[in-house]
Amino acid sequence: MSEITDTRMIAPDDAATSNAPVMPPENLQTQGTKIRSATLHLILGALGVLFLAPMLWLFLASFDKNASWGVEWPHFSLINFKHVLTGSLLHSLWNSVVLAVISTAIASVAGVFAAYALSRRRIPFKGPLLLFIIFSSGVPLAIMVIPVYEIFSRYGFLSILPTAVFLSVTSLPFEVYLMKNFIDAVPTDLEEAARMERASTFQVLRRVVIPLALPGIAAAAIFGFVNAWGSFVVPLILISPQNQQPAPIAIYTFLTLPKPEFGNIAAYSLIFCVPVFILYVVSSRLFREGFVLGGGVKG
Amino acid sequence: MASIPMIDTVTGPSMSELWKTRHDKARYQWGSLGLLAPTFALLILLFLVPMGFAVYLGLTNLDLVGPTAIHSSFTGWANLIRLKTDSTFWSSLWVTGIFIVGSVVGVVVVGYVLASLLMRARPWMRMIVGGIVVVAWMMPAVTAGMTWYASTTGTGAFATLLGTPNTNFLDDYPLLVVTVASVWSMTGFSMLVMGAALRNIPSEAIEAATVENSSSWQRFRMIILPLLRPTMTAIVLLSGLLALANFSLIYIMTQGGPGSATNILPLYSYQQAFTYNNLAYGALIGNVMVVIATVFGVFYVRIAARRI
Repeated sequence: MSEITDTRMIAPDDAATSNAPVMPPENLQTQGTKIRSATLHLILGALGVLFLAPMLWLFLASFDKNASWGVEWPHFSLINFKHVLTGSLLHSLWNSVVLAVISTAIASVAGVFAAYALSRRRIPFKGPLLLFIIFSSGVPLAIMVIPVYEIFSRYGFLSILPTAVFLSVTSLPFEVYLMKNFIDAVPTDLEEAARMERASTFQVLRRVVIPLALPGIAAAAIFGFVNAWGSFVVPLILISPQNQQPAPIAIYTFLTLPKPEFGNIAAYSLIFCVPVFILYVVSSRLFREGFVLGGGVKG
Repeated sequence: MASIPMIDTVTGPSMSELWKTRHDKARYQWGSLGLLAPTFALLILLFLVPMGFAVYLGLTNLDLVGPTAIHSSFTGWANLIRLKTDSTFWSSLWVTGIFIVGSVVGVVVVGYVLASLLMRARPWMRMIVGGIVVVAWMMPAVTAGMTWYASTTGTGAFATLLGTPNTNFLDDYPLLVVTVASVWSMTGFSMLVMGAALRNIPSEAIEAATVENSSSWQRFRMIILPLLRPTMTAIVLLSGLLALANFSLIYIMTQGGPGSATNILPLYSYQQAFTYNNLAYGALIGNVMVVIATVFGVFYVRIAARRI
């Protein structure tokens, strides 16, 4: 999530739009620019409609008490939301929270230590270790799910907690990589000052490094949370007790019913999306206010 | 959600430099290994060990249920021979190839078009269109698959929008529809990364080319494309890896069907392991995915390592 930048921040680049080698008369240029700008906005509008179209059903059907697979103007009602926030469906959302929070906590705590060591310390085989971290941050580790299933089933681990640990591993390499880049940017002066005062490694981490690299650590944690929250195939295979299934499995189960309640599916999916959208907004803020480390070191 | 690479044109130590051991520096701080222990213990136990185990598993007759579920034995090349003659596997590999190439080309092209157009658009347009594309990217795969399924039915958004009611696009063009859905769900990430890279192109370069009477195609070909190449390569590799593992979206939309029209490797592997109970054979198909992912991953490391 390193490069998350709100598109709103993009500055208009007039140089790229004008194609004129020699300045033409004033009015000619503005007319050309106007036509260009109109075309550009038309193309963008069309792309926007194409991207919006598949989402329409989700928003319309969730507020429609007679929803179907089709898109139609809803018979407005909030009854779908009321229906899905009860019983086992609510419990599945809670399971998703447990799964995501535990896996995020494991990955972020383990990750911040590793990121600090890789950023600051002299370690044997540091280069190869870093390359391994980058490699495994690119490769989707969820493709390991069959051997992990076999291992888990042999030890009776096919439940929510071991699954949370496996999910933490799928986001761990990228979290380490992200946090390392942030810790690299923290000035070492403050750390050296803390060392002079005989602070231990853990004190240095807790009082100096973690507070200063907090935007990066938060961004990494958000990445881990979103990764675990949206995960479908890993819990599908690794969690066997019915009452431990997270929300994505509940959504899938909805679809396999002989007579699906379309409005309920849509409303439940929309609720399921909300935390992800909120966290995205939070993380893009974090990056905008990002590195305000300058104030930490005086003069 | 996609993991986004740190991409810029700053060059750090090269690959070969990273592998070299330095002898002219002070001693290692061995205590640091304690800090690394939790992360590497997790990665070894739940990544490297399963990977090694999968190699063995692929060469056994382990089943999900039945007598060979507990007492499996090593069967050597038997599964590999089966794989070689399994026409479903080869068609699945072909479908996977089309799906990955289609997804990658779509993600790069649509991402670039959006990034470069949004740069010149009015702020309200940037906010609305950029926002919609990012929401599509952030949407969890299960939800995305479901809303795509709904929109491609006979009464769905696309049939209504294109004025062709009762056309079920998912039945008529299954592979095309799931590929477009995959592009839809990943473009936000490439748009954001390419937008950032485009803003890093010095405007002097463009201005100089404009003064030299260049066409906009020449400016794209000679200035923008070379400067964006590292970013584009990273996006190609990452979106290729994500498409390779994109189980959820297709599973929700088609479950690999109709027939095996959208049966990409992760689906076929799951199907063999958990529908037909051939856990070992499913693991072997998983290993084929690991090999493909490793090739992509090695190229990705070569690009990302430039900025450690």
